[in-house]
Amino acid sequence: MSDTIPVSVFEVVGSRLCVASDDGQRVFEQIASAFRQGRRVRLSFLNVETLTSAFLNAAIGQLYSPEFGEDYVRANLEITDMAPEDVDLLRRVVETAKFYFKDPRRFVEIVRDASGELSDD
Amino acid sequence: MKVLLADPLPEDRPGFHPFDDRIRSDFAGFSRLALLARQAEIGPFEDIDVDFTGVEWLDANMCAPLGAILYRAGRRGNSVTLSNVQSESGKDVRGILLRNGFLSHYGQTRWPDKYGTTVEYRRFEPKDQRAFAEYAEAVLKGAHVPKMTTALRKWMMESVCEIFENAVMHSRTRFGIHACGQYYRSKPRLDFTVADVGIGIPGSLKEKTGEDVAAIEAIQWAVTGLHTTRHDNVPGGVGLKRLREFITLNKGRMQIASGRGFWELAGTGESASEMEPIPEPW
Repeated sequence: MSDTIPVSVFEVVGSRLCVASDDGQRVFEQIASAFRQGRRVRLSFLNVETLTSAFLNAAIGQLYSPEFGEDYVRANLEITDMAPEDVDLLRRVVETAKFYFKDPRRFVEIVRDASGELSDD
Repeated sequence: MKVLLADPLPEDRPGFHPFDDRIRSDFAGFSRLALLARQAEIGPFEDIDVDFTGVEWLDANMCAPLGAILYRAGRRGNSVTLSNVQSESGKDVRGILLRNGFLSHYGQTRWPDKYGTTVEYRRFEPKDQRAFAEYAEAVLKGAHVPKMTTALRKWMMESVCEIFENAVMHSRTRFGIHACGQYYRSKPRLDFTVADVGIGIPGSLKEKTGEDVAAIEAIQWAVTGLHTTRHDNVPGGVGLKRLREFITLNKGRMQIASGRGFWELAGTGESASEMEPIPEPW
């Protein structure tokens, strides 16, 4: 039995249009399930034509939560067949996820700071 | 109740600035529709007649917010009709709304679009993400879309889908997500608008944080990135920031109207204005 599970995004979503957060959630659950069984995942984007950050946030971004974390994801998730234009989007999603999970409450503080500044005006 | 879409206020009112007879995709146009949204907050079981007398132009993409407002009014149990939609040479509002399918929602038969310049008015349910994506794909393949590279087209497609997904995730709308647009051959340009009548960006922010933030600040916060109003354990905040960069790079125009806030990014930079509460004329 192979340690690496191949997962096709096209197959899981059933479309070349990977735009919905809910579809990303299905991909996430597939990956998370494999991770929880100690398997590596090779995630293929073959035949995927349209991606949104909303999809990638759900599919990949939330892997950076404390359950798995950056080091685990880096060691156990391999991305293949992704269009060069989408690699930049993925990079930004991952950077944002790392920032978010470092302190998920941070943005609340940012808003509170902003509203405090407004009420001081 | 009759709602006059043009000149809703008496001219003798001090400080009164009548609405233009052209409802454009700009601050004044969105302000007018914001007022219409308030005027339509009646019912159930009222007759609402939106009277187009005096309206000489309506930017076709504004059918998206107009349709969202009227659809909500109808779903509240009211009977919504449109009257006096003009059709004269040079100010063919009726022709535009017949060709893009808007008036099909108000009992009229759609006209064929022999010029191929309209983008059909459509309403989607939040679960219709893929149907919207297919619609957006067809829009971006339109004969009059300005020429662009494959990479640029892909980026544009993804950006439009991001806007829809933002509405799905944050608006909590029960009245659909509405889209419409128009190609302008001479410019060349595509105007495209997505609208919902959900809780808006300020409302979404308040749900998440409990804080009241002015509409303009809420919009500016949403487009600066590294934030999200998602309620689950999923990070976010990339979409609108990336879209903003895309618009800047390609010298396009991006407008957000939410709550009382209106924000615009165009060639001259960013601007933001508050849509003032307008005295009620009735």
